[in-house]
Amino acid sequence: MFSIEMFFAIGLFTIGLYGVSSGRDFLRIFFSLEMLLNAVIMMLATTAHHLGMTENIVLAYMVMILATLEAAAGVLIFAVTNKITGAVIPDEIEREELS
Amino acid sequence: MTILLLTAVLILAAASLMLQRSVPAIISFAMMMFLLGIYYIGLDAKMLGLFQIFVYTGGIVVLMLFGVTIIGVEFPQARKRPWAAASALLVFILLSVLFYRTLPVLKMAADKPTEEIHLFAAGFSDVVILFALIGSSLLYGTVKMAGMLGAKRGSKSHQSGDKRREDV
Repeated sequence: MFSIEMFFAIGLFTIGLYGVSSGRDFLRIFFSLEMLLNAVIMMLATTAHHLGMTENIVLAYMVMILATLEAAAGVLIFAVTNKITGAVIPDEIEREELS
Repeated sequence: MTILLLTAVLILAAASLMLQRSVPAIISFAMMMFLLGIYYIGLDAKMLGLFQIFVYTGGIVVLMLFGVTIIGVEFPQARKRPWAAASALLVFILLSVLFYRTLPVLKMAADKPTEEIHLFAAGFSDVVILFALIGSSLLYGTVKMAGMLGAKRGSKSHQSGDKRREDV
């Protein structure tokens, strides 16, 4: 059961990685970043439960706090970039506009 | 039951990236986070599960809704990158192989009896410092960006005020 659950966590990580590397709009990149961090939290929780590594739960809380901060910073970066350049896709941004 | 739950999580995760309309994508993202919270509660990590539901299904989805107000109902079309799927598949295979190779070591470490009970911070003090550093830099970035956004809005409203005065 542990292996199957870890397999699902790796699957979630892969979906997140695909979302980030396919470089669509900002919102879907945020979704993907959250998925990446959630896959890590899932791995930590699964190992804590099945292998008795209870300290991993504390690490999971820490990753969750970082994910929350990352989402707040990310949305603000999106808002500022959109205000300056009017872009909603990273490909639309030109270097001169941001400098 | 757990496998069904986790399959639904993966399907909802893929749907939130594949859907072309932003509101259904956000709903599937929120559902995915909610199911993950249920999964954690099933793993006896009740507090983590409740945190997951409150923080993600509550807080972060509302933050994403702010993004929807900028993007609009439909996601814009972006350039296709065919190598993204291939590289993700490669990483999936690599991670799976790495996991199955380290599985015996993990199980051995779990079976080893702990000789002394120590505080979390004693064993993971470096990790705690690292997390604190990353967290504080993210917080600094958030405050800086909020300041930048406020300044940008201020200058825009100032410009529009000047224009109105010129028109008058």
